[in-house]
Amino acid sequence: MGVTILLSYPVPENKTGPQTVDLLIKRIGALGAVQSGQFLVDCETFSSGPTMGGPPRTVHVLHNSEQPAAVFALLESPGPPPKTVPLVADGLFDLLMLKMSSIYASKKQTRMEARGTRFEIADFLVKIGTVTMSSNFKGVLVEVEYRPCFIAGNCWELMREFMQSFLGSVVQNTPPPYFQVHNRLNDVYQPLDTIQQYLDHFASYRKVAGL
Amino acid sequence: MAMAQQTVNTAIDSLTAALKSNIIPNQEYFLQGSILDSSVEVLLHRLRGLCDNVDTNLETFHDHEMCFSIRGPNNTQPLQLRVRRSLDHNGMPMQLRYIGQPEIGDKSRPTVLRNSIDIGTSNTVVEFLTELGCRKDFEYSAKGYMFRKGRMKITVFKVFKIDETRKMMSSGGFDALSPLTHSYLVELSVLAPSGQDAIADDMRCFAEQLRPLVQLEKIDYKRLVHGP
Repeated sequence: MGVTILLSYPVPENKTGPQTVDLLIKRIGALGAVQSGQFLVDCETFSSGPTMGGPPRTVHVLHNSEQPAAVFALLESPGPPPKTVPLVADGLFDLLMLKMSSIYASKKQTRMEARGTRFEIADFLVKIGTVTMSSNFKGVLVEVEYRPCFIAGNCWELMREFMQSFLGSVVQNTPPPYFQVHNRLNDVYQPLDTIQQYLDHFASYRKVAGL
Repeated sequence: MAMAQQTVNTAIDSLTAALKSNIIPNQEYFLQGSILDSSVEVLLHRLRGLCDNVDTNLETFHDHEMCFSIRGPNNTQPLQLRVRRSLDHNGMPMQLRYIGQPEIGDKSRPTVLRNSIDIGTSNTVVEFLTELGCRKDFEYSAKGYMFRKGRMKITVFKVFKIDETRKMMSSGGFDALSPLTHSYLVELSVLAPSGQDAIADDMRCFAEQLRPLVQLEKIDYKRLVHGP
């Protein structure tokens, strides 16, 4: 797996979500991309009840069809200091969360999903999907992976040029905010980085919904 | 392309299907016993004769185990979680284990049965559990030998105290271990999906072959605990 950049593609006012997705699929098809299956990233959020004492803690549990044997959990601890602790685990971690359902309850109405089609084009992997929250449409996400490279700083310019070729001005000239903190441009890219980008986007969709 | 049309199942759907078809090993059949240091060589010799993985040298292990618990609402039974990491092989995934209350059952049941979920994890698991609200109850290191016989796992190991005063050193205190007892713990276990009780009889037969060196028995932990 290589460096991956996740972008939210704004749905134009006179278009629906599916129309926007079709438009992007047409554009990437025109570049010569070949469809290769579907993808799915989902996120369920659990919160601690009042019995734990102190402010509630939140655990986000995510799955990515690109890493089907792994479960990604991100724990938001109120601290002090507030921090996020990531955990990468086997698939059976989901069973453990079920065991803890009396302590950490799932907020079913905030379950989010990004689902769509996977495309391959030369060294790039492109995924175009719609985001839903408990089956309500929320937006369109585009994931672009440049597979030969592990350091974002080394391939950002090349990725930017490729992304602008089919996404246009939606792509900024500077790396996305996720890469601008913690020296992430120069770190080795890991599957967890993709998951964190999805979580950031999911969180902002939830914020819009006021949840 | 047929594959392109196929929709992806959610991980939860796949897990539910696996649970329904009963292929997840979520139960552990379990027997325990002990043997004095002075006799352990004889036991190892016998195990070498009985077990599968004896073509090469004895398979050894040295693990660090931490036991955590987290309390639910209304003072329900706390949930017990264990984290194990290998001290011999740095950088290997850590193991997170949920272990349920052991069921002793009646005389007709040959082994203790307990629910168990084994999960390989990244090395952030200790911090994750701590921030989740788990409390570390105790920790120890286990050093010994591992044997296999079919689906059965046999471990012969010593339990060591972890030297708190040396914990901050680069070795983590694992270089100067003090044994807790003058004996080795012997465990015989099989992880299996629920309802495979035939394996328990195999375990009883195997345990018979280790007598009288070591008596592998169903240990009732409740009788060992004094007070709450």
